[in-house]
Amino acid sequence: MSSSYSSPLLRLGVVLPALTVLKLSAHLAGVSDVLLHDHQLSSPLTSFSQLQEGLYLFRHGIDPYNGGTFRHSPLLLALFSSVLPSSKVFMATLLALCDAVAAWALVRTWRARQNVPSSARDGLVAAAYLLNPYNFLPSLALSTSPLESALLLLAVMFASQKKAAPSLLSLAFLSHLTPNAILFLPPLLLLLLTDPHSHLASPQKISFKRHKVLPLAVEFLLYVGVLTVASTLVAGNLNWVAQTWGTWYAFTLPDLTPNVGMWWYFFTEMFDHFRPFFLMVFSVHLLIYVAPLCIKFQHDPLYALFILTGILATFKAYPTLADMGLFLSMISIFPETFPYLRFPIVTSLLHLHSALLLPLFHHLWLTQGTGNANFYYASTLVFACSNGAAILDCLFAGLRIAVGKEVDGYEVVQE
Amino acid sequence: MLLSRLATVFAAVTLCRAQISEYFDEKLTVTPLKDGKVASTLAFTTLLKNASPRNVERLHDDDDSQHYTLFPLALGQILREYGVTEMHLTLNAGKWNYDSWGHPVEPGVGTGAELWAWIGDGALSTVDARWKGLRNALAGLFCSSLGALDELRTTSPTEVFQPEGSLPSSTPHQLRHASHPSEHVCTENLTPFVKLLPCKASAGLATLLNPHRLFDANWHGMGVHVLWHEDEGVEVRLTFQTVSDPLRNYQARKQDWSFESLFGRKVERACPAARSSIVEVSLPQDSPYNLSPEPTLAEKDVAWFDIQPASKPVDISMSYMPDFNPGLAARLAKPSTPLSVQRTLKESSQAHGQLSVVLKNHESYPIQAVYLETMPWIVQFYLHTLTATLDGHPYTSAFSNLSYIPAVPHSRPSTFHVLLSIPANSTLKVTMDVTKAFLRYTEHPPDAQRGWDLPPAIIAPLNLDTNRMYTPTLLVDLATPDFSMPYNVIIFTCTLLAFLFGNVFNLLTRKFVVVSLKPAPSSTIKED
Repeated sequence: MSSSYSSPLLRLGVVLPALTVLKLSAHLAGVSDVLLHDHQLSSPLTSFSQLQEGLYLFRHGIDPYNGGTFRHSPLLLALFSSVLPSSKVFMATLLALCDAVAAWALVRTWRARQNVPSSARDGLVAAAYLLNPYNFLPSLALSTSPLESALLLLAVMFASQKKAAPSLLSLAFLSHLTPNAILFLPPLLLLLLTDPHSHLASPQKISFKRHKVLPLAVEFLLYVGVLTVASTLVAGNLNWVAQTWGTWYAFTLPDLTPNVGMWWYFFTEMFDHFRPFFLMVFSVHLLIYVAPLCIKFQHDPLYALFILTGILATFKAYPTLADMGLFLSMISIFPETFPYLRFPIVTSLLHLHSALLLPLFHHLWLTQGTGNANFYYASTLVFACSNGAAILDCLFAGLRIAVGKEVDGYEVVQE
Repeated sequence: MLLSRLATVFAAVTLCRAQISEYFDEKLTVTPLKDGKVASTLAFTTLLKNASPRNVERLHDDDDSQHYTLFPLALGQILREYGVTEMHLTLNAGKWNYDSWGHPVEPGVGTGAELWAWIGDGALSTVDARWKGLRNALAGLFCSSLGALDELRTTSPTEVFQPEGSLPSSTPHQLRHASHPSEHVCTENLTPFVKLLPCKASAGLATLLNPHRLFDANWHGMGVHVLWHEDEGVEVRLTFQTVSDPLRNYQARKQDWSFESLFGRKVERACPAARSSIVEVSLPQDSPYNLSPEPTLAEKDVAWFDIQPASKPVDISMSYMPDFNPGLAARLAKPSTPLSVQRTLKESSQAHGQLSVVLKNHESYPIQAVYLETMPWIVQFYLHTLTATLDGHPYTSAFSNLSYIPAVPHSRPSTFHVLLSIPANSTLKVTMDVTKAFLRYTEHPPDAQRGWDLPPAIIAPLNLDTNRMYTPTLLVDLATPDFSMPYNVIIFTCTLLAFLFGNVFNLLTRKFVVVSLKPAPSSTIKED
């Protein structure tokens, strides 16, 4: 399975720099200006124009969190206004490097899972992340979601190498960028306390030192607290909490800009009377997946984290294509499940279908005016179907692998 | 007749005893414009001498009884109820063309309804609560939907809207300004306006308020202005401005006008309550004309008529000798204002746009002007894309003193305030990218595909002696959802959510078992 692709072109040392340079040249060719305002690739929480707007206000002494539409974390404000320049070229370089770091982290996770120092599939895993259009298009659009993907993959990599502090710190940074990331804490803690090796084929009850959970959780909360204090110092007051985190959890959903998720049109068409109830339902809905996944995949927390990535990408409030790109690229580190996927062709064709329809209907609705919002909404439904198909198939394969190959005279059923 | 004389004497005696005296003046200003139209401004001023605004800190106590003879009681009650020191309400229809018509006599010419007030702070109720009460009370008084001037349209641009009168120094005051460009003005608004005048529409210059002709004009606007002058008292000024087109009504191409042709009426009687009743006519400088009757006082470019002693009915008319030639006049004449402004919104998609303002300086010295934009939250600025070009070349020193209060989605508008310097005899173009919001189903108006009216921007020149200028309103086209689909959308999304949820939990809560297909040795057959 893994030794047939051993050509020198696919070595990690070749793939990573080559694809990074390719991405940079695509940016310099002007692709970024076309994609900058694309609603599929950047949401109001990750948009580069909003980031530049916030930086401009910050530099001119106007509080960017006093009302307004700036929803990036104060940490990004601090980063780009003091340490790093905020020009488009620099942002493109930074995001290309982030993608390279994320691909490298994925490869290291793969190596830790296989318990080998290097393998022949390294280049393929890196290419699966870097060449995925769901990943490189948002970074060409200068959205900040590649930063989030990189932080999550770094957290997973450090957890696979049993380095608790860097892993929890990365997750704390990620929680400041998107509060949804706190949902990754339980599988990450389990991963830190067990091992990343593949036990999918031989599940057994988890055994970990329970007394170590609390100190790790406290450490995570400490990192989050320190970053909160730092953010408050940068922003000058506490307005940023309502503007960044409050967008997610204050049951308001103030921004109804179209994106590839299921929330925006639902809450556009919602009557005001029912809005708080359904906001609560959609928010709590995300929470209820964590515990069952961790319990069912207690023998392989990395797989639980992987499935959770897909679920969050489908059901979160302001998704972009980069969220799903992370999930689809992470499939490459679980090749043992590939024979048990029931309908990979259907899933990939559905993804192709929705990936082609989404920008087309967006253009028809907003630019050309010959289609209406229902066209785009239908394409987001197809996208959600394709995401759901991917998640269900991976979930099935991860569970089915434990039973093993089919033998004549016996059949595997669910009960 | 005898009774009315006795009543007037009794009223005068009463007023003298109370030491608060009321004076009523009326004035009509008629200005022929260079494109053949005639601008006329009727101003009715009632001065309540030695009166002062209500002490805001004692707003919750019962008010002292107020006795008015000429001062409009309904308006006075509203102002004292909410502790308002200065208030300006204008209801205008049409677009004031500064390039052809020059500056108006009353500066508030923004299309639609504009209300701004300086309200004293320090009472038990907040300024915002009293602002809301003021809006609703004025809406009831003038039969217009001023209640729509809510938090979606209210800002506080103190630098541009300085008080025109004085503010009592003992209490701090706050400014509230709101603008509703899609407000329509009609005779329903004129009727309560006329009721506030002492002589109503039966005597004096107020007889010229003929709604059929006024609302037929190219531009018309009414205003209610309440000020307090520290050494004078409380002044209420009711104004009605129109720009009429005499060329429309005459077969011959002559810009002759008269009271009969402009208003359809003549002044039959003088208002006995008026202290003065003046008509001021600007005399044309470049063509021969005939003005009748003889003015009371005439200078080179202005003529005054005193209505009260004049023989009734009074019909002032001006007739011109040659026919009107618009091409020659417009081409040879200098622009009517030192600064010309044009504002446009370029939108190629329903998600983004570009706001562009072109300012032309016709004078030979640089002009400093404050540009104020109070944009509702539906159009959001990208301030980092603010650029200026001067005659086509990039110009970096156009902006200074930038102050910006961002908009709060579904609530407060954004206030953008910048000082522009325009060099002599040049054109400054300011552009800024904007992004358009996506509204909730219930926030769209019934005619959602028409678009939203954006309030006018205000340009206040600093080193000229002209008053503030208003740009025309803009129409922005926002993306609309499908209004027939709420139930369908909820069903589709919830179905998909439930389907995926159900399948995920199906996989998570059930386990796989291996079932043997071989028949059991016993008689019962296992079903798979």
